[in-house]
Amino acid sequence: MSVLPFPTILDDIKEKGLRRALYDAVDTTVERVTAGMNIQDIREALRGEKASRRPNPRLTPHADSFWLHMRPSYFNKEVTGIYPTFRLGWLSTYFVFFETITGILLMLWYTPSPEIAYGNMLNILGNVPLGQFVRDLHRLGAEAMVLIVALHMMRTWFTASYKKPRQFTWFTGVVLLFATGLLSFSGYLLPWDQLALWAVTIGASMAEATPAIGKEVNLLLRGAPELGANGLLRFYLLHVLALPVLLFVFLGVHYYKVIIHGHSLPPQSEKIGEDTAKRVPLDKRVYFIPDLLTNELMWLGVTTFIMVVLVIWFYHAPLENHADPQVTPLGTTAPWYFLWIQGALKLGDKFLMGIAFPTALLGILAVMPYLDTAPSRRYKDRRIMITLGLLLISVTTILSYMGLPEFAVSTSAEIEILHELDKEPAHNKMGIIRPVPYEQLVVGWYTTAQFDVPEGEDVDAYLAEFNATIAENSQYEQLVDDLRQTAFTVTNTEPMFEAIPEDAPELEAVLEEFYHMLKEEELELPNAWGAIIITENQDGLKRIDLAISWDGVEIEQGDVVLDENGEPVPLMETVLVPVVDENGEPVMVEMLDENGDVVTNENGEPIMVQATEEVQQRVRRIRVQHIFLHRNAAYFQ
Amino acid sequence: MLMLERMIFERIETRILVGITAFFGILLMVGWVAINEGGRMAAFEERSLARSIERGAALFASGCATCHGNDGRGITGRAPALNNPQLFGYDFGTGEITAQIAKLEEQRDLRTQLPELEAELAAETNPNVRQQLEEEIAAVQKAIDPNFDGIDFDAEIVALQAQYDELAGQMQQAIANGYDPAHPERLVNVGWAGDLYGFLFTTLKGGRPVSSSYWPQAMPAWSQEAGGPMRDDQLEDLVNYIMNWDRGEAWTLADLNAVQQFAVEPARSSGGGSEQQADASPVGTNVRQIMGDLEGVEGDAARGEALFNSQETPLGGVALGCSGCHNGVVAPAAEGLWARVETERLADAALAGYTAEQYVVESIVNPGAYVVEGYQPIMPGTFGEALSTQDLADLLAYIHSLGE
Repeated sequence: MSVLPFPTILDDIKEKGLRRALYDAVDTTVERVTAGMNIQDIREALRGEKASRRPNPRLTPHADSFWLHMRPSYFNKEVTGIYPTFRLGWLSTYFVFFETITGILLMLWYTPSPEIAYGNMLNILGNVPLGQFVRDLHRLGAEAMVLIVALHMMRTWFTASYKKPRQFTWFTGVVLLFATGLLSFSGYLLPWDQLALWAVTIGASMAEATPAIGKEVNLLLRGAPELGANGLLRFYLLHVLALPVLLFVFLGVHYYKVIIHGHSLPPQSEKIGEDTAKRVPLDKRVYFIPDLLTNELMWLGVTTFIMVVLVIWFYHAPLENHADPQVTPLGTTAPWYFLWIQGALKLGDKFLMGIAFPTALLGILAVMPYLDTAPSRRYKDRRIMITLGLLLISVTTILSYMGLPEFAVSTSAEIEILHELDKEPAHNKMGIIRPVPYEQLVVGWYTTAQFDVPEGEDVDAYLAEFNATIAENSQYEQLVDDLRQTAFTVTNTEPMFEAIPEDAPELEAVLEEFYHMLKEEELELPNAWGAIIITENQDGLKRIDLAISWDGVEIEQGDVVLDENGEPVPLMETVLVPVVDENGEPVMVEMLDENGDVVTNENGEPIMVQATEEVQQRVRRIRVQHIFLHRNAAYFQ
Repeated sequence: MLMLERMIFERIETRILVGITAFFGILLMVGWVAINEGGRMAAFEERSLARSIERGAALFASGCATCHGNDGRGITGRAPALNNPQLFGYDFGTGEITAQIAKLEEQRDLRTQLPELEAELAAETNPNVRQQLEEEIAAVQKAIDPNFDGIDFDAEIVALQAQYDELAGQMQQAIANGYDPAHPERLVNVGWAGDLYGFLFTTLKGGRPVSSSYWPQAMPAWSQEAGGPMRDDQLEDLVNYIMNWDRGEAWTLADLNAVQQFAVEPARSSGGGSEQQADASPVGTNVRQIMGDLEGVEGDAARGEALFNSQETPLGGVALGCSGCHNGVVAPAAEGLWARVETERLADAALAGYTAEQYVVESIVNPGAYVVEGYQPIMPGTFGEALSTQDLADLLAYIHSLGE
């Protein structure tokens, strides 16, 4: 007899008692949620025991549930370990979801507009709790994903897993590699800082080299001749919409193909020309539940753990100054995964190296399984392919190195040195003067000549002499003139370079480094001295003026011109110098007009002027630049 | 690798243990990050402000220093100082003293006004005028601050004036460069309702197009929106740099006197009371007072007609537009108005004791006081602020001429 007019749990309780009835209710719910496994089944699975009832409840979820129907119920023991897959495919998938989740979180605080985007970044970093954390995860994940996907491809190459019947799986994989690279690249622009703008400008400029329609392709990509509001919006839509759609569609196809053909076995475990992946002998079966499931959950935890550790202690996504199309930073590079293209560009024509070469490479990769049709997957039978694979890795590594600004980009030594001293933080490097503690930036005029002092001589006396010398040969005048051009108020008429005070050891170290840099470039910068001039600009803000003064030498295409003795050829200029006689009195001559006739005054007498003569003299060059450093700018972090 | 794999991953319990440890590790670390977020974000804000100031300094050196001086103290005859206590509204005391003197003078004047009004009230018989006088007396009584009772106003004012003179004496250099010690706050002087940041930002953004009338070169617009070279974030950097000159309470007279050039202030009325100002100030809405002001002022009917028909503008600078409504449909017609007032309106008991002129004046400055039957009370009440005594006299002359 039912308690209510319809059957309820109350009837169960009445019949079985409260405890038993509740347990049964929970058990039924668990079985429904897992689509086949009740509490007892789960307990057995996690204990590593065999299933106690038949049919095997661990197989039911694969038949009945949506999520597990995509996963095979068992794998071959030979493919579940670290070798031969290195779990790279699984990791790639992991990063797809990892990037999607962190990306959606970031989208909450982002507007793709040049006026707002950078402010959004500052807001994410300075005003959104865990904002920096999530941004770091997303950025690190993006870079890791590019690496992992590329490694995944190379692994497939080396184990020849692309061979029949998996040719198309490989093809979809190449599409995924392409999508991953572009996703990472399109995301690069979104912070709208200098790093983003210039890396993407370099990348996108390759589109211009497309034959015949280069201009149109460029316009289509950037939305305007230069990257601006339209370009940012396009890259944003590529990043959050078009490329993810492409990626997810091909991820689906790729995974479907992987499952339908089975994971390819290590090359040596099957006969040549055979593919036994789908025929797994009973003794080699590893069931998804519980072995693979716990394995994957563990990896999920471990990988995320590693990512979290990395972004807390070792990695922060860079954010440079606001994008400025007018200011090209020295040493701009493409993102590291496209450096190989930048390196190739240094070897030849923009179209050939920037477009034809990468496209050809991608094309060859895409159709590779249809070209390499030799049946054997054994390493010993694939010497050529393995050599080619290693060659590909070596060539891209070398080309990437060549893509670095250090390689074959010539900038004048003085610009390079000043840049080393004061550059904005970028690519995890910054000018060496920036991290000097604020209180060690002691107001004063300092020069690298301080380190020229011969052993045992007094520094102050030496610098006094230096001051007198540069006052006399007008190098000081040249310095002051240039400083005045940059809104610097010079109050002293005499040079007043002095030794760095003892309580500023870090500043002294910078000056010494400056000295060594000048010495290293002695060929291009002969007789050079450098200056660091520190003035107080505002309360808590100091102005640092840096200067290099040197004797000019002939430079041709970035290289110093040497004479037959291997000496640099000095730059000479002609100056007019007043002539004096042996008593030091000026020598007077008649003034001539442009026709060579004597000019006379109204009385018909020739006008006398002091004689001058042309003298060849070495050109003295100078370069000054300045930065400001605020007490709270915290560059040391 | 294989060894590691066997040891750790082969057994299900190790996998579960490693997985759970990892998940708890993540939770702990994220929690640890989360509780430190407040400090980290504050540090980030501080750092990004500092770097913004650095960038602003570079922009200032390249774009602003040529006119405003390398040290921001302005260049004589060229552009005003920004490194300047006046810009930041710092008062060395002269502004405060000026305000105190004004307050003392006001209280002193109120106290002399009160007995005069009371005497007037005692002599007045007309109930309407009496009521007005009583209201005025009440207003004066309310304005009298009891805290000032028993003060020797003149002595106090002299003492304050001496203090003022002493301070101003120390500002000779600044005064010579355009500083007004009585009005030490730039934003107050220009009537800026927002904060200093907004003042600086908008000035940079849009420039000062008319400033070429008092400087050799106008302050250009710096923002790209207004045709200049800078983005808004650069303007923000510049403003942050300029704001960094603020020394708060630490400004010294030496800072003030170091300023090379102060800003040109907008023309300021001297506060009323002088004879020349009588014609130029609006009549207000106090009919009794207006009647007194109108005494002896000769109205010009021709100018009144021009004012009435919006061919000329009154003190307020905006045409009156009287003829638009006073056609007998929307509002009573101007033709024959004076006669109608004398014969019909003044017969109304509500207007007992009114003269025709008084009625018309009240109808202009306070139109809602009496609305003629058959019309809506739609006439604006703002004419008291728009008309000078002369304007009103001219209008009256014109209306009078129409009525006869």
